[in-house]
Amino acid sequence: MAVSWLSRLAAQATVPVFPVRGMHGEPVLHRLALAAGIELVDSPRHASILLVAGGVPPDQHDALRRVHDQLPTPFATLWYRSEPLDELAGATRVDDPDALPEALKTIHRELMSGKRGSSPRLLPDEPPNPWEGLGDDGHGGEGMMGGVPYGRPMAMNMTDDIRDGLTLDSLTVTLGPFLPMLPPGLTAEVTLQGDLIQSWTTHSAPYPIALESAFFQALQGPVPIAELERARARYHLKRLHFGLRLAGLERLALEALRLAFEPHPGQNRVMALRRRLVRSGFFRLTTTGRGRLDENQARRVGGIAARAAGLEEDWRSGDEGYRHLNFRPLTQREGDTAARWHQTLAEIEQALQLAGQAERDAVHTRRSDGVETPRGPWGEYRPEDASGVLEELLPGLEWDEAMSTLASLDLAPLSPWSLEETSEAPVPTSVEERRA
Amino acid sequence: MELLTLFFIVLIAAGLGLLIQWLPMRHQPMPTYPQRAPFLGGGLPETHAWNRYHVRYYPMTLLLIAFEMEMMFMYPWAVVFVEQGMKAVMEMGMFLAILSVGIVYGWREGVFKWQ
Repeated sequence: MAVSWLSRLAAQATVPVFPVRGMHGEPVLHRLALAAGIELVDSPRHASILLVAGGVPPDQHDALRRVHDQLPTPFATLWYRSEPLDELAGATRVDDPDALPEALKTIHRELMSGKRGSSPRLLPDEPPNPWEGLGDDGHGGEGMMGGVPYGRPMAMNMTDDIRDGLTLDSLTVTLGPFLPMLPPGLTAEVTLQGDLIQSWTTHSAPYPIALESAFFQALQGPVPIAELERARARYHLKRLHFGLRLAGLERLALEALRLAFEPHPGQNRVMALRRRLVRSGFFRLTTTGRGRLDENQARRVGGIAARAAGLEEDWRSGDEGYRHLNFRPLTQREGDTAARWHQTLAEIEQALQLAGQAERDAVHTRRSDGVETPRGPWGEYRPEDASGVLEELLPGLEWDEAMSTLASLDLAPLSPWSLEETSEAPVPTSVEERRA
Repeated sequence: MELLTLFFIVLIAAGLGLLIQWLPMRHQPMPTYPQRAPFLGGGLPETHAWNRYHVRYYPMTLLLIAFEMEMMFMYPWAVVFVEQGMKAVMEMGMFLAILSVGIVYGWREGVFKWQ
């Protein structure tokens, strides 16, 4: 039968997976991005498997249900270090990152050959509001005005465009927490006029991000600078991967990610990557001057964003060990999106150079009252959520500029647990434990 | 007779096209309402997407037409010019003058400014 050989062919194809990025789910998705035979897609409509990577807070379960119901049938769910929703109690759960690619492929094969049924729909199949049928065009209102077609009021708020004052309808949507182009967990109410962002209100902060244990050890006592700096380079390379993927430079993004997974990435490889980025036009994608942070905002965000805006603030400057290596903080002047990416690349190169030097001379950190994390200085306080700056920064930008600005900013708070702890600690399995 | 043949060809082509689309879809259920909603990463739209939107490249397209119309008529005109001589030059002059009013108007409105 025609359908059977089509299904057999489909079962052998690359597995399209839509990842829901939960708490501490990023590391495993980076590994999956490099796995053969698996494609991480950006929309649930292109996927046959919904992978929930990491825990999702109960108040975002409704959003998760909505994403779940947007996959076309047949589809399945896989839960990585996360408890399935109550309605999907029998869904497959995998806690071992090494077993994940194979589990995804098996599920896909079974799904396509018909051995496994599709995941059930969780939301009722009803229009958000029944069709009113009023008016000449059945749009729910009288004439061309008003009405609530399919339960949503018409965009009739008529606000002035902040770009050139042209009065038009504006569209208000709630984005996130699982939109691939936003940091995981970030929810925002956005008003758009055409492609221009009129207003941005952050509703929930991004999930905390976990750093490698080297940064935590640096707060306890001396650690080898080589180890600390390589961890820093890896962190920035993973962020660069996100930015490049958003820009549509998939191959360069994977190249950055591969570098991040190498135990000793060479400085010349990063320089070659920089040359390829310049040639690809990555730095020219954002109009110069867009997404510029003023001094206060830059200080609030900290780390790379602060140094890209010209603030020479780096905890490492005060460390004897770093001074021995002639460390000087690098800065940019403009403080805009392109400057932040230039700064990211410069800091990756600097980190690898420091690592090489420190390894040769066996240099350790001397200060343990604080550490310069890739996210900013961690002295008395951990770097906190800085997504508040988006409300001042994004209105007035066009959608693509806003998204590239957002990708260039590292806004999530730091997790009190290290990356190793979050990926190795046993995950509570029962509902009671999870709630506790 | 030829028209009838053409009619049958169109009928068969359309029928085959519809059949090819219908065959794989015949056991598929209609997408549910939540599946048809726009994907916003779990969020919901608060207003209807049926809204007025300013096509910002619109003045540029009108300008393109103003320029393109000149060129479009200049090719056949070049042939006629050989036969008609001065009369054709006058006619083309009038035609260009009318079109340039549009371009001058666009200029005044700032169409040539890159924003």
